[in-house]
Amino acid sequence: MIRVLYRVLLWLHPPAFRREFGGEMLWICDETSGSAAVWMLFADALVSLARQWVLRAGAWKLVVASAGGLLQITLGGLIFGLFHELHGARPFVHEPHTNSVDMLRLIYLAVGVAAGVVTSVLALTLWLRNFTRRRIHHDA
Amino acid sequence: MNEEFTPFLPLSPAALHILLSLAGEDRHGYGIMQEVARQSEGQYRLGPGTLYDNLQKLMTQGIVEEAASRNRNDDPRRKYYRLTRFGRALLTAEVERLDTVIREARIRLRAHPRRAT
Repeated sequence: MIRVLYRVLLWLHPPAFRREFGGEMLWICDETSGSAAVWMLFADALVSLARQWVLRAGAWKLVVASAGGLLQITLGGLIFGLFHELHGARPFVHEPHTNSVDMLRLIYLAVGVAAGVVTSVLALTLWLRNFTRRRIHHDA
Repeated sequence: MNEEFTPFLPLSPAALHILLSLAGEDRHGYGIMQEVARQSEGQYRLGPGTLYDNLQKLMTQGIVEEAASRNRNDDPRRKYYRLTRFGRALLTAEVERLDTVIREARIRLRAHPRRAT
C-alpha cells in the first residue's frame, strides 16, 4: 500500500524529474518504508511535488500571469469607478434615447484599464527582479 | 574568495550536507542520506524528495555529476554521484567562509561574554 501511494506521488512529478530520479526514489522508499518515519517520506514527497511544479517546472509563471491578469481587471475596474465618482457620472448603462456611445465613459474606461495594466506591470517587474535576485543568491 | 563562487555562496544547509557527504567518496542517493544523518548525528535528515531536488540543481550547476557504478551486482536503479572539480573548489570556499564566520563569532563572544547571555 505504501509503495503504491508513493508511486502515485512520484507519477505526479514532472516527467523529466520522474525519469531521472523516480526509480531511485522508489528504491529508497523500499529501503526505508519498514521504519516508523513513513509519514515523513510522504510529507517530503509532497513538498518535492510542489517544489518541482512551482519552482523548477516554471508553473509559477502561470500563477503569476493569472494573478497579473486578475490585478489588471481589478485595478482597471477600480480606477474606472473612481473616475465616475470624481466626475459624478451615471452608471455605464444603455440609454434608449441616445444612439451614440458616450465617448467620455469610454475614455474613462480606457484610461482605467491602461492605468491598471501599467500599475500591475510595474508591480510584477519589481517583484520578479526581487525574486530572481533572491533565487540567485540563496538557491545555490 | 574567488569571484566565480560568489553567485553560489552561501550554500543552503541541504546543499552543504550533500557536498560534504560526497567529499570523501562517490555515493548513491540512499548512501548520501545515511551519511548526512551520520555527519549531523541524526539532527539533520534529508528525505528523498529534498535530496533529489537538490541533486538535480547541483548537477545542472555543474557542482555534482553522475559517476560510474562501482559494482556490477548493484541494483540498476542505483546511481552514484560525485563532486566535480568545480564542486570541490566551491565546497572548499564555503568551508573557508564558514571558518571566518566562526572565528569572528568566537572573538566577539569572548570580547563581550555578558552580552551573549
